[in-house]
Amino acid sequence: MQIRVGVYICKCGTNISENIDIDELIQFSSRLENVAYVKDQPLLCSEDGKNFLASDVAQEKPERVVIVACTPKEHEKTFRNTLLRADFNPYLFQMVNVREQVAWVTADKAAATEKAKAYIRAAVKRVTLHEPLEKKEIECNTDVLVIGAGPAGMEAALLLAKAGRKVYLVEKNSFVGGRVARYEEVFPKMECASCMLEPKMDEILHDENIELITSSEVVEVLGYLGNFSVKIKKRATCVDKEKCIGCGACYEPCPVSVRNEFDYHLSDRKAIHVPYTGALPNVPVLDQGHCLRFAKTDSAMVQEALDLGLITQEESENYKKQDCTACQEACMFDAITYDRQDEILERNIGCIIVAIGFELFDPSVLPQFGYGKIPEVYTGLEFERILSQTGPTGGKLFMKNGQEPRSLAIIHCVGSRDKKHKEYCSGVCCLYALKFARLAEKHAPGAKIYDIYADWCVPGKDNQEFLDSLKEKKNVYFIHTNLPLSVAVKQNKDSLSVSCVDVSGKENPLAADMVVLCPAIIPARDTSRLSEMLLITSGRDGFFAEGHTKLAPVSTNIEGVFIAGCCQGPKDIQGSVAQGAAAAGQVLSALVPGRKLELDVIIAEADENSCAGCMTCIGLCPYKAIMFDKEKKIAVVNTVLCKGCGTCVAACPSGCLTGKHFTEEQIFAEIEEVLK
Amino acid sequence: MCTGRIDPQFVLKAFQSGADGVLILGCHPGDCHYKEGNYKALRRFHLLKRVVKQFGVDEGRLRLDWVSASEGEKFVEVITDMVATVKKLGPLTTAKEELRVG
Ligand SMILES: Cc1cc2nc3c(=O)[nH]c(=O)nc-3n(C[C@H](O)[C@H](O)[C@H](O)COP(=O)(O)OP(=O)(O)OC[C@H]3O[C@@H](n4cnc5c(N)ncnc54)[C@H](O)[C@@H]3O)c2cc1C
Ligand code: SF4
Ligand code: SF4
Ligand code: FES
Repeated sequence: MQIRVGVYICKCGTNISENIDIDELIQFSSRLENVAYVKDQPLLCSEDGKNFLASDVAQEKPERVVIVACTPKEHEKTFRNTLLRADFNPYLFQMVNVREQVAWVTADKAAATEKAKAYIRAAVKRVTLHEPLEKKEIECNTDVLVIGAGPAGMEAALLLAKAGRKVYLVEKNSFVGGRVARYEEVFPKMECASCMLEPKMDEILHDENIELITSSEVVEVLGYLGNFSVKIKKRATCVDKEKCIGCGACYEPCPVSVRNEFDYHLSDRKAIHVPYTGALPNVPVLDQGHCLRFAKTDSAMVQEALDLGLITQEESENYKKQDCTACQEACMFDAITYDRQDEILERNIGCIIVAIGFELFDPSVLPQFGYGKIPEVYTGLEFERILSQTGPTGGKLFMKNGQEPRSLAIIHCVGSRDKKHKEYCSGVCCLYALKFARLAEKHAPGAKIYDIYADWCVPGKDNQEFLDSLKEKKNVYFIHTNLPLSVAVKQNKDSLSVSCVDVSGKENPLAADMVVLCPAIIPARDTSRLSEMLLITSGRDGFFAEGHTKLAPVSTNIEGVFIAGCCQGPKDIQGSVAQGAAAAGQVLSALVPGRKLELDVIIAEADENSCAGCMTCIGLCPYKAIMFDKEKKIAVVNTVLCKGCGTCVAACPSGCLTGKHFTEEQIFAEIEEVLK
Repeated sequence: MCTGRIDPQFVLKAFQSGADGVLILGCHPGDCHYKEGNYKALRRFHLLKRVVKQFGVDEGRLRLDWVSASEGEKFVEVITDMVATVKKLGPLTTAKEELRVG
């Protein structure tokens, strides 16, 4: 059966015609099977050229079009649009690049003409096998889910809300602010952390476009860009946030006292509590894990444990299920109800931003530092609480015995830059170590401060200055050691000894009352769980992997899922906020209200009937676009997620996957004809 | 479309249709426009090389290399080198029927 192919040859001024014999091409092409006509043009991409093409195609009504011209990179889109003007399906067209690939690189005119002929022959054959493809558009939801309300997540949520987007901000804790809520001051300008953060937190609480969902975690994510549906598990906190005014009358009467995890167990709290004074939202949480009403053990077991001497009489009180109503009685606003259950909330959204922050490396893995064994050895985050006015010591620099230390050693790079542990530099420790030195100097005047470092990592505008200012302090001693750290901390009778070998090989035995470690910044605990749920990949260090190191720092391998802040890698607050803003920008341009999502047409398609269900393709797709239909036992390509790379098509052993516009048949025809 | 779309059959088809050499060029590792198609291509390439050898096709006739759009010089270098290698090997004489695919 004949298929009418129209061939248009562009001379590109003289770019093409100078080195290729156009007349010969015309003669050659018109003799090819299926070719109905051949026309040449001086400059097809000019306005005149495009108008000619549109009207000629409308008139000649070819079934396929071949344009012999320059690189498709430059003008394939131009010509597709021109063909659309003539009501011609733009995928029934093939472009032959005889400029870059022939005229410009083949010196001999006769050889160049021969080469061009081969390309035209291949294109004419290929184009007859083309299928008309239709552009598809889908409706999408432009609401956004932000996971984690630290500096990065808050920034993203606020910017999106300001642009009118509905934002669901899910935070695991009962309060917002992330790690920074624990800090007293922040480097390098020693700003008051709460003064910096509170206005932002307030905006989060009061923005009508933000639904803040605290004490919650995302438990299920289904769907794709523009159409995700998620399930969020909200822990029952038993306090009605609409009624509670945050007066705090309920904590006092609560009989249960436990260690406060917010202060890293350096202080106590009640079963009903706010983690720290000033926490926002200022609504207490009834911790069902410790509240007497929810005690899981029955009285017989408690009696047995008591009889066996496993617990004391006093402790046994804590295990007994009791009908305590102390807090409810104390609340004058009827805000406390005990019959609350955990809830599952369902939300539909179009994009997701993950900003779950970081964790610290556990320094007890390195026994030479004595962490966990020696009481006066702290991590950086614990020390932040000691320095905080809302912390266990009310902001006084005290040791556990209530005395001010006369000497303090700060040790950098604990677990970082260490091949055996974390190979990377954690980026912020040098600077917070300097912050600690500055604060310690202020809180314990005259105390000796030893800063044991390996290398300085203080890039950026104000940071070197910050370091230099501390070098001038006479109570602050900097000791340069080699990596891996040749440092050991030991408990002596009344102080600690820190021995370290400096770079010159000199042994430095130091006495210190307190030791602060700067452990490596590592991925947050939920990183791998979320990575599985969202199908986003992590790098070899465990942090979420960005789309491209340089050019796509907040994108992921999944369209519509973005990352921001320390979950992408260690960084300071400025960097985290910048990424939060970047992620918000990505979301704003990925989905625009009222604009439909235009889908790629050159994608893969699986044939239900021949798919053997071997699942080879599923793991190969870099966009996770292939799902397995468990009932029919076949692979199904999601038309929204597929980007048409063709990786699966090449791998399918039963040949049931077709790469549209790059089918096996089309490519074979091209190869065969070009080599004829 | 990307190097990840390269079905080993395309290469066999090319040899069978008369190509004396096949050169596969892709984006540098980590720079694939479709994320990781080139890694998949690399894996297939190693297998393919063994298959082609079984048919008596000299290894030099099949090559995979990474050249980015901005590496004009490298592109020229790789092509020139490939052409020289294939010229030295001369026309492919293996029974083309043996390589029949598709
Ligand atoms: C000791 C120390 C001192 C520092 N001092 C400074 C300083 O002075 N200046 C500075 O610029 N930087 C400082 N930093 C760095 C700073 O803490 C980080 O840059 C910042 O906290 C990163 O913000 P983030 O939003 O990415 O993460 P985070 O602050 O860690 O916030 C993440 C949030 O996500 C929540 N979350 C975690 N998992 C989930 C989940 N599954 N579901 C829902 N929510 C979840 C967390 O509860 C948290 O609220 C310091 C770091 C350390 C360790
Ligand atoms: S007593 Fe009532 S109003 Fe006051 S903080 Fe407790 S729950 Fe809220
Ligand atoms: S063509 Fe590429 S993006 Fe599309 S389903 Fe196949 S592997 Fe995934
Ligand atoms: S696009 Fe995948 S290798 Fe170039």
